[in-house]
Amino acid sequence: MSARIVHIDRNKVFYAIIIAVVSIYVFKLFDMQILAYDQFNTKASDNSIKAIEQIALRGVFYDRNMKLLVENTPAYTVRVTPAEYDTSLNRKLESVLDLDEGYISNMLFKNRIYSKFVPLRVKRGADFSSIAWIEENKEHLPGVDYIIEMQRGYPMGVMGSHLFGYSKEISPQQLKKEDNYYQPGDLIGAIGLEKHYEKDLRGEKGYNYILVDSRRREVGKYKNGVNDVPSQKGKDLVLSIDGELQKIAEEELNGRPGAVAAIEPSTGEVMVLASSPEFDLNQFSYVTPKDYLKQLMDDPLKPQYNRATMSAHPPGSTFKLLCALAALDLGVITPSTTLYCGGSFNYGRTFKCHGAHGAVNVISAIEKSCNVFFYQLIFKIGLDRLKSYADRFGLGHKLGIDINEEVRGLIPNSAYYERIYGKDWPKGILVSLGIGQGEVNVTPLQLANYCALIANNGKGFVPHIVKGYLDEDKKYHPYTFKAVDTGIKQSVFDMVKEGMFRVVNGAGTATNVRISDIHIAGKTGTAQNPHGKDHSLFVAFAPYEHPTIAVAVLVENAGFGATWAAPIAKKIIETYVRRTMPKSTQTEPQKIVVEPGENFAD
Amino acid sequence: MRINYKLNDRFDLTIFLTASALVVIGLIAIYSSTQNTLNQKGNFDKQLISWGISLFVLFFLYTIPIKTFKLAALPSYIFSLLLLMLVLVIGRKISGARSWIGFGGFSFQPAEFAKLATILYLSDFLSRSETVLDNLKDIFIALVIGMTPVALIMLEPDLGSSFVFIGLLLALLFWKGISLFGLVLVLSPGIVAVASLFGTIYFVIAIVLVIAALFFFKRDVFLSGSILALNLASGFFVDTFYNILSPHQQKRIQTFIDPNADPLGSGYNAIQAKVAIGSGGFWGKGFLHGNQTQLQFIPEQWTDFIFCVIGEEWGFIGSVVVILLFAILFLRLLRLATFAKNEFLSLIIIGILTVFFIHFLVNVGMAIGILPVIGIPLPFVSYGGSSLLINMTLLGIILNIHRSRKESA
Repeated sequence: MSARIVHIDRNKVFYAIIIAVVSIYVFKLFDMQILAYDQFNTKASDNSIKAIEQIALRGVFYDRNMKLLVENTPAYTVRVTPAEYDTSLNRKLESVLDLDEGYISNMLFKNRIYSKFVPLRVKRGADFSSIAWIEENKEHLPGVDYIIEMQRGYPMGVMGSHLFGYSKEISPQQLKKEDNYYQPGDLIGAIGLEKHYEKDLRGEKGYNYILVDSRRREVGKYKNGVNDVPSQKGKDLVLSIDGELQKIAEEELNGRPGAVAAIEPSTGEVMVLASSPEFDLNQFSYVTPKDYLKQLMDDPLKPQYNRATMSAHPPGSTFKLLCALAALDLGVITPSTTLYCGGSFNYGRTFKCHGAHGAVNVISAIEKSCNVFFYQLIFKIGLDRLKSYADRFGLGHKLGIDINEEVRGLIPNSAYYERIYGKDWPKGILVSLGIGQGEVNVTPLQLANYCALIANNGKGFVPHIVKGYLDEDKKYHPYTFKAVDTGIKQSVFDMVKEGMFRVVNGAGTATNVRISDIHIAGKTGTAQNPHGKDHSLFVAFAPYEHPTIAVAVLVENAGFGATWAAPIAKKIIETYVRRTMPKSTQTEPQKIVVEPGENFAD
Repeated sequence: MRINYKLNDRFDLTIFLTASALVVIGLIAIYSSTQNTLNQKGNFDKQLISWGISLFVLFFLYTIPIKTFKLAALPSYIFSLLLLMLVLVIGRKISGARSWIGFGGFSFQPAEFAKLATILYLSDFLSRSETVLDNLKDIFIALVIGMTPVALIMLEPDLGSSFVFIGLLLALLFWKGISLFGLVLVLSPGIVAVASLFGTIYFVIAIVLVIAALFFFKRDVFLSGSILALNLASGFFVDTFYNILSPHQQKRIQTFIDPNADPLGSGYNAIQAKVAIGSGGFWGKGFLHGNQTQLQFIPEQWTDFIFCVIGEEWGFIGSVVVILLFAILFLRLLRLATFAKNEFLSLIIIGILTVFFIHFLVNVGMAIGILPVIGIPLPFVSYGGSSLLINMTLLGIILNIHRSRKESA
């Protein structure tokens, strides 16, 4: 009897439990599928539709004659998919791909937080024999595959390591700083033109929308790719560099520390910008092997340092041109003024000349590189007035060239010496300043720019490496550049240029580079080097009558300018002038008149 | 006795048709979730064949004399224990658990058969006239009958099936009419065990509650002391038990305690399952159009996570239809339990109801994120031959009890 009652009670308990569970489940489903539908639906779409970035093809570099200097070449990239990969293959793969031992396991460890089904690049630019090996042993290499990606190639054989520069994987610090364009693992220009023109070269990324399954494996295109955004190729840059001349400069320097800069005087276009020793840009196409980096770092010649724009040395006798220009322009001397050289000059102590030149005027002082003439001249000009002329030529200033690696150098003024030596600084310092020694420091690029401005009678443009770009239809768009005017009288340039003409073609210091049918005007220099052998310098332009090229050459620790630097300049000048001689096609560039003294960026 | 010649009087169409509807829904979902996979493509056909075979078994069990079940109770129970021991030796290991026995091309889980056998034998024991559940000895015997298969299944280890047996035992004791004190006695070690999984504080609270309950019942000191000791032991035993679980099951328990602890590992399934169901919306994405399903965001969705396929492709409407079909089945079984002609058969129905209900509770609960991910299939719907066969067998017994409800004892 009581059992029956109990059964009915307990029946109700079961009934209540069933109804309660069913109600809770229906309510929960209502909550998920109707109230929170949007939220879950977004998640479901995010889950299965993945935007795959398409890295745009990087813009290439053409030289001034539209020869390809830097191109994109297809290269094999070997990848490993961690989920399928067998780590016992590490050693074998590392040896085939010429990777450091432990590289793969280290890479797998670093990427362990990402999906195991996303392939990781273990080697870019793998050579064909290793690809053939992978292809042959496919079935024993689970999770190893390769794809074809673009990397930089240098078809003309021009090294241009400091000029072109390289890209490398973006660092976490840069990622924070840069706009939202980059993703971890993207390449970004690190030095040289690759860095300066990064935003032009990189193009615009595209996006492909694909369907992925739960393992992030691609299963097809989303809506057949109607929403895909194709990537846009970066701008192809047209450089003012002359590939052939650049190559000659590199070959002539031949690994000796030094630099060559050449500029077209009428346009400010940089035709050569070489720094030696070079390094192999191919080694920087992706992950640079550690031993190569170490080798570069340990090299006493510091190959990674751009000597053309970053090494500031005393200009030596090449500085005498500036003193002559300033003195003539200021009227402290006239073309007929002569100063006496007895072989030495006394100012507190004895300053030597390399010979007793007797009474010399400004032209023969340049021709003979007479020190005594210029020892005296600087006192007539005055330090601060000399500096204002140096400023007009960009000496001691960053020129604002289109690579970021550039130093200012130094042209001292009286305030500078007051800061160091106090109000009554010893004026004897000026003596050696007059011949470009001591606290004056300029870069080879500044010297080339200075020589180009002299060649073009004080007018020109801020030197630049890239002159324009090609759009998608291969149509050329020139860039415009800031004009420079030193504001110095034409007659002054005529005098100084005549002196430079005689250096080579008269009884001067660089008669060894004379060419019968091409008139080179130049000036030798020897930069005193307190740390070792003197640096050999030479600045020159040609042809004397209508200059089309101005060159500055630095060969470190080589001694006298005429011996080492001048022949390199000669070879570049001769090659260029002979090639361009028949057709004198010089387009007048757009001119913007600016006040003297505010010519350069810094 | 008046005999009703209408079909429905001899054959419970409500139960049969509800279950058949669930099988058909399951077949549709199995087709959808496997048509994109290479090695599971045959699942639809296999399930269809299993259904055909199990229908024969169902009708066989429907027609045999009702007495058979009482006679078969003890032998089948012993046989099932032997099978459970055998599986520990020769069983095939699938995802960390040794729970399948295979012979030829066919394989089945002894735990599935043990459900039937335990229902029969426990019902048999509890319905004996001398069994009184206020008697500690009888409670103990019932516990031994119910917990022996649990212990063996724990060794495989198969967490999901163990829960089913524990639920089954409690439901049958409850239906038989165990006293409140008896219920506390049986339930409290389990509650203490679960509480201790969450940490020491919960364990202490549970023990305090047990002590409070013991004061309330005012039984003799020796009995109360033993119960307390049993509870303390079960709390400490959990640690040992936890350690014999396979790592993936340990992870599942951790995930239940803190679902966000490991969103890419063990919590992944729980999250993806909710996303699939939630994104189905009111009408669903349509047959073969669920992107979570078709792109296999949820592993093994033709078995344990089949509810996600239905939720995603058929939406709120489809999910509610499935839940209501189960509700109809459960309520019909509950009603039948009060109709059964004796306590033995009534207990069998409650046992079967409990097995179905716990499967439903845990399976749907984990799919919608209310319960931890414990791998047990949704009856009639999930893919799986031995599961479908045993469920149809249970249904055959129910239909037999319904058919014979008016026969004289």
